[in-house]
Amino acid sequence: MRFSRMLALGASMLVLLSACSTGGGSKPTIKIGSVGFDEARVVAEIYAQALEANGYAVDRAGIGLGNRKVLLPALESGQIDLQPEYVGSGLAYYGGAPEGHADTNKELFADALKAKGLAISILDYTPGEDTNAFVVRKETADQFGISKLSEIGAVQDQLKWAFATDCPTNPLCAAALKAAYDIAPKDVTLLDACSGPMAEALLQKTVDVAELCSTQPEIITNAWVILDDDRATQPADSIVPLVRDDLLAKVDKAAFSKILNDISEKIDTPTLGQLYYDVAVGKKDIKDVASAWLKANGFVK
Amino acid sequence: MSVVTATVAWLTDPAQWSGAGAIPQRLLEHIGLSAVSLLIAVAIALPAGLAIGHTRRGKVVAASLTNIGRAIPSLAVIGIVLPITAAIDPQLGFKVYPTLVAMVILAIPPILVNTEAGIAGVDRDLVESARAMGMRETQVLISVEIPVALSVILAGVRSAATQIVATMTLGAIFGSGGLGRFLVEGIAQNDDGKIFGGVVLVAGLALLTEAAFVTIERAAAWRGREHPGTNRRAAASVPT
Repeated sequence: MRFSRMLALGASMLVLLSACSTGGGSKPTIKIGSVGFDEARVVAEIYAQALEANGYAVDRAGIGLGNRKVLLPALESGQIDLQPEYVGSGLAYYGGAPEGHADTNKELFADALKAKGLAISILDYTPGEDTNAFVVRKETADQFGISKLSEIGAVQDQLKWAFATDCPTNPLCAAALKAAYDIAPKDVTLLDACSGPMAEALLQKTVDVAELCSTQPEIITNAWVILDDDRATQPADSIVPLVRDDLLAKVDKAAFSKILNDISEKIDTPTLGQLYYDVAVGKKDIKDVASAWLKANGFVK
Repeated sequence: MSVVTATVAWLTDPAQWSGAGAIPQRLLEHIGLSAVSLLIAVAIALPAGLAIGHTRRGKVVAASLTNIGRAIPSLAVIGIVLPITAAIDPQLGFKVYPTLVAMVILAIPPILVNTEAGIAGVDRDLVESARAMGMRETQVLISVEIPVALSVILAGVRSAATQIVATMTLGAIFGSGGLGRFLVEGIAQNDDGKIFGGVVLVAGLALLTEAAFVTIERAAAWRGREHPGTNRRAAASVPT
């Protein structure tokens, strides 16, 4: 009698304990952020919907939060947990010297984060890249016979330039242009990076050279010319998910990483261009573009 | 370095006071564009306000337009107008006209409302006795209604001027000049000294504008009080 009672007690305790551990508590809410331009926002939205499809709750308030100078402090302080970052530019922000290969940049980036004592991990990078591009209208390229950045130095003061607002202090922009190409023009307008107004300024001939994102759709729709970065100042800027370690500690790290890594694997440069196009030119909502892409690639039903 | 020390350092740095894109240039751009916006707004709103206040017709239309004007965010106006004006003039149409349009829209409501209310609020006995004296309608307006309503009208212009100076900063987001450039660039470049230096300059300019107009208002009120009988002369010489 006593023995069977103990058995029953033991069995029910086992059941209770196993129920607790497989339940694992509810999945934590993930705060996702991104910089303001359309490509970053739609990639962040893709992460968000993929994670939701896998049972996570997602707080999207940080999408389009601001530029990198706002976003990385938000990640460091825990206001956001996850963001898509450009591996070369992110490395440069933390004082590193990016190179032409995403692999190297990812390692250097991880080292730089550790050196700053930041508990942030980097997951796999996308094959797709989006670099800073210095773009001219076709007639400007024809008029001056230029196709490379090394050729524009000679005529730089005959042209009006537009740079991103953070260019003067961004080592990959003003400093790199000066050092590699001796480009430091006088007539410069500062506008938001990779934005509508930047493209508008080039379109309306307010400026002759604009700093755009290489996947920005206006380049294709207007048949503009990207000046070749022949001295390789712009790093391989693949996209990597930056994740706070304290978030990874709260989830099944392998499963979580797999969700994001499987998505990153599928994002190549033409995909980035198409996503960017659909939002910026097609004027579609990032939620619709993200869910259409996830469905088409079999990540959600 | 605390924000306060960074700001003081930025404001006292001689490099910020000379050269392209420095404080003097931005101050002049800001004052110039504000002044032009105010003049255009006055040119539109003042006659309209005088007509509506004097004839007491069109009040509802004016009130509706004023409310709509107040409700439209200036930033949205700049963004919407930019592609249109940039197509007309690549330089001014991109960097000047969009902000100009937004500031004019911002400034019209206070000028219109104050002018209309000031004129309509003039003591009806004064107006009737002026008419009884044989004055024509325009004479009534110029010799009686405007001098009496002047301080209210000027208060409306003052309010508009201060709003323009403070809100002009939005234009910098779209490449316009002016003190807003220090805010936009400071934020992108993570430079607290620049951001708050810009804030100090804009706020200082707005307060100066306020003070300047208060002085004008006081002068106008003084002249009106000192020479009550010679309203005609006083009215003709007081600038509207």
